[in-house]
Amino acid sequence: MPPLDWQLGVVTSLRDETASVKTLTLALPQWMPHRAGQHYDVRLVAPDGYQAQRSYSVASGPERVGEIELTVERLEDGEVSTYLTDQVVVGDQVEVRGPIGGYFVWEVGMGGPLFLVAGGSGVVPLMAMLRHRAAASSHIPTRLLYSIPAPGSILYRQELDALQSAQNDLEVFYTFTRTSPPGWRGYARRIDRSMLAEVTRPLGPTFLTYVCGPTLMVEATATALVELGLAPAHVRTERFGPTGKEHSP
Amino acid sequence: MARDYVSRGFVGKRRAPSLANRVPPGQYLTPDFPVLSAGPTPRTPLERWSFSIEGLVREPARWNWAEFLKLPTQSFVVDIHCVTKWSKLDTRWEGVSLDTLFEHVDLDPKALFLTASSDGGYTTNMPLAEVVDGQAFIAHTYDGQPLAAEHGGPARLVVPHLYFWKSAKWVRGLRLTEADVPGFWESLGYNNHGDPWKEERYSG
Amino acid sequence: MSDTPGDWNSALMLDGNAVGGLLEEVFGREMTSSRCQCAHCGAVAALATLLAFTQAPGVVLRCPGCKEVIVRMVNTGAAVFLDVRAATYVRLERRTA
Repeated sequence: MPPLDWQLGVVTSLRDETASVKTLTLALPQWMPHRAGQHYDVRLVAPDGYQAQRSYSVASGPERVGEIELTVERLEDGEVSTYLTDQVVVGDQVEVRGPIGGYFVWEVGMGGPLFLVAGGSGVVPLMAMLRHRAAASSHIPTRLLYSIPAPGSILYRQELDALQSAQNDLEVFYTFTRTSPPGWRGYARRIDRSMLAEVTRPLGPTFLTYVCGPTLMVEATATALVELGLAPAHVRTERFGPTGKEHSP
Repeated sequence: MARDYVSRGFVGKRRAPSLANRVPPGQYLTPDFPVLSAGPTPRTPLERWSFSIEGLVREPARWNWAEFLKLPTQSFVVDIHCVTKWSKLDTRWEGVSLDTLFEHVDLDPKALFLTASSDGGYTTNMPLAEVVDGQAFIAHTYDGQPLAAEHGGPARLVVPHLYFWKSAKWVRGLRLTEADVPGFWESLGYNNHGDPWKEERYSG
Repeated sequence: MSDTPGDWNSALMLDGNAVGGLLEEVFGREMTSSRCQCAHCGAVAALATLLAFTQAPGVVLRCPGCKEVIVRMVNTGAAVFLDVRAATYVRLERRTA
């Protein structure tokens, strides 16, 4: 395995996903294909040598050669996220190292069916999995259960709609925990055991699950899935910090 | 790796230390009160809380919460310095001086050091001489409010002249010892003494 | 240490995934999928699933079951101090060439 070295990525594009979430595309001089679910560490350096470091999941699939997409949520008192969303412009260099991770990863070769559970910005590594799945033209039966406070917080909405419509055995379920869209007839509460039972029923008795989001949501979801009879070995989790607070690795 | 790289326009959350003579080397000022912890926040109910002084004393002393609050309380305004490089000036606390607590025990002349221990298993060590004569206190009030659990409440040790990892949150007792026993961080690369003015961060 | 979710300061708690970079730096290989056994309660878990406390002078990884400390790491800049005494074992799978 090549040593994990820092490299200077160059920002080639920026895209607003929502009012507080931005996707940065970085061209990497030492790009290597990552596995969907992996992350990169980002390190910022001030002129006096002060450093701040955070981890960001790769949002793009490994089929995008030479570059990675990082989707960053701007956290109110976040030192790094506010810099990445407010200050960075195309052409800037950002120091990164990766790809990192070997547990919370999925690739088509691992099979399915596949159940993805996202809480807020926890959808990012799961989106990498869906993009990889699409690039591989896979028909592995897949369901995404995506919990967000309100419709305006949904990331990748249009792309998720398009992936669903492509009729390749992907279904996306949203659950709104604060405000539902007008006329909404779907889920409108925090993820709980009965919701999980309903959404996963068509997937059969054995499937791979990836849960990513705030710590309490991840814990509650994983516990509920095991209570429903899933083998713990088939449930993989990644905890993101809760919205509003940043964490250094 | 080109070490002259800087992230264009990045300065972080820090404030320039205009009060430079109050900020130890390598530190920066923060307007916040960062929360650092090696584990989950303990939540000992007050009716089960106690604080004790044990070890090289003739008889251990122990206070429950009601008894502790009856002890003479003082106000303290101190600067605090965390080894992770943030410093906060003029923090306002209320609590019981360790001098007051030591009045309730007979210290063995062999007692040279102490280990503070906390809910959750955290420990930290320091010389006895550095916590007497007004140098340390057990705080139960911060900024006029009961000390929040995430900041070490109901009560924490505060030893402002040493790096703040020595100011054990959720403190439950002090053990007086003859030998110096490295605590949680002191046993894993952090400096045994921890003087921020000499930048005693690490052990090597 | 009480076990109910309300006792946890969730803002501080990530998991071993978050320190994957540091672990790889220390061990020279991907570590988050490696399993370890908790010396306190015997539970076996992937390092990725250990509760990570990173807002501290060092990194502390705790057993998701009994919450006791399994791994501690301090990065002093000059070196990394590593304490894995509370892991009965860490299982490093051989990689096929």
